[in-house]
Amino acid sequence: MGRRMRTRDEVFGIPYGTRDFLPDEAREKRAIESLLAEGFARWGYDEIVTPAFEFVDTLTLGNGRRIEPYMFKFFDRQNRTLALRHEMTTPIARVVASRMKGAEMPLKLFYLSPVYRYEQAQTGRQCEFYQAGVEFMGSDSEAADAEIVALAATSMKNAGLKNFQICLGQVDFIHGLMQELRLDANAQEAVKAALEAHDLVGLRVLADQVGLVSKGKEALLAVPLLHGGAEIIEKARVMTTNGQSLCALDNLHAIYRLLQAYGAEEYVKFDLGMIRDFGYYTGMVFEAYTPGLGFPLCGGGRYDRLLSDFGSACPATGFALGIERVMLALERENLKPSAPQKDIYISYAASKREDAIRLAEERRMAGKIVELSPSEETRDEATLRQTAKGYRELVYIE
Amino acid sequence: MEINDLDYLTVALPKGKLFSPSAELLAKAGLSAEGLEESSRKLVIVNDRAKVKFIISKTADVPTYVEYGAADIGVIGKDVLMESGQDVYELLDLGFGRCHLMMAVPEAERRPHLEDYAHTRVATKFPRIAERFFGEHGMQMEYIKLNGSIELGPIVGLSESIVDIVETGTTLRENHLVEIVSIMDATARLISNRVSFRMKFERIHRLVEDLQEILRGDNK
Repeated sequence: MGRRMRTRDEVFGIPYGTRDFLPDEAREKRAIESLLAEGFARWGYDEIVTPAFEFVDTLTLGNGRRIEPYMFKFFDRQNRTLALRHEMTTPIARVVASRMKGAEMPLKLFYLSPVYRYEQAQTGRQCEFYQAGVEFMGSDSEAADAEIVALAATSMKNAGLKNFQICLGQVDFIHGLMQELRLDANAQEAVKAALEAHDLVGLRVLADQVGLVSKGKEALLAVPLLHGGAEIIEKARVMTTNGQSLCALDNLHAIYRLLQAYGAEEYVKFDLGMIRDFGYYTGMVFEAYTPGLGFPLCGGGRYDRLLSDFGSACPATGFALGIERVMLALERENLKPSAPQKDIYISYAASKREDAIRLAEERRMAGKIVELSPSEETRDEATLRQTAKGYRELVYIE
Repeated sequence: MEINDLDYLTVALPKGKLFSPSAELLAKAGLSAEGLEESSRKLVIVNDRAKVKFIISKTADVPTYVEYGAADIGVIGKDVLMESGQDVYELLDLGFGRCHLMMAVPEAERRPHLEDYAHTRVATKFPRIAERFFGEHGMQMEYIKLNGSIELGPIVGLSESIVDIVETGTTLRENHLVEIVSIMDATARLISNRVSFRMKFERIHRLVEDLQEILRGDNK
């Protein structure tokens, strides 16, 4: 028997916000990622890989200024500022607007990548965390949005999740409502900030301050509470008369009808107060939740402005799914995939090493998981090792 | 039984002065449990009939329990909530627990303008709120985080000023401190986890409406 590795008193530390995936975790992560990648491919999405770091100016184009303080930055040899990517959509937009400019539209791309944000580590999100996601570029149709939501639902099912809920919102509903209420630019910013911060008390204070007539005030305060099934669309419709808000509701209705065709409607609810990020999203937005996890595990929506920031206007929609959060959700619901069975441990007596190698190769060709002892052992030693390592069968050559 | 059972509502209540008014108000809305007392040795108190669980925690921990979803909803002072910076739904101003956050200096060392205190040391339990406030006034300060007896700071020469909560002003007077600027007024808030607000929307929304009704009645 070999000696167990000695545990040290002092552990070699790793930086704040990073983590190791030990073999069991790494296996589970790879299994989930494979299921997701296969699923994306079945829907006609092609994988794309971009660099882990880029020029900070590229990554902060568009709405990135807000995230800039949370980026990991460093310098290249010409002292230009580089940063680790904080998400995958901006790098993909860069590629699509430049190197893939002539590609046949619409373009469907997926990725499985670590991304980096210097912020307080949360449940299932360190500073380095893994995302799986898709981008559907070159279509402004509700069919593209419905496909993205349906694919998100399918992806979560593919990963093994059973109990989850997707909430759909539409940023134009609130934009239109604020116009209708004739809020000035400052008041609009304040309302957006309150909604983004989930501050309903602040929203109530604002509604009093800007001197809205009672009906308008009621409508504004009702927005965060417009949550529920498809009836919410009709409930919202009577609250407003402006074209932009009504278009937003028609858009959600159209998406919902397509989701029924996908058979995904059982997962879908509406939440018109859910807006994620006003500066970035331009239409439908959504988040997915699972009980037992206090944070959304998936989010996305339509972002039609980002590619024009790269000089090549193109409508786009997509989502990202947090791999570690999926892993946590599976664990909390006792749905963790079981580790694959290890098949054969091969060991041998003196001078039988070559025979053992040949046998191991033969069994591996037959698809078995085979571990070969690095040195000769007695049969008793081999049995102990087989048990300790969890192999179903021992082949001992003597 | 899972803490995040969809049938149950988990409520985080802070120890201290907010505990009794919170428990009383929630009881009026039908959320109560036998043995729900601040001094309870039990950490989680369950009422299976009303399908509610209570967690009694240190004040500053309430936003953490709620942000992570260990509790669906909680009651917490706006001051503590702002200082924590945690991402939760702020659903309702409960009106009680009113307090006043301000900056005070020793009477003898009062300066003519707020800006005259730039680059001095300020002792506080609320460095984030203080930094935001002074930042809005274009001032940089040196923050010294203390966890209690903030008014001691200027007396022992640890700081030139304090940023602290006052209720009656007695402590300030006894220590020869004077308020020079008001920072914010805070009351207790009902907060909710972002996911719970969606997954348990009907129940939480109903609770908010009931509480609003009760608060309106109390103010009449």
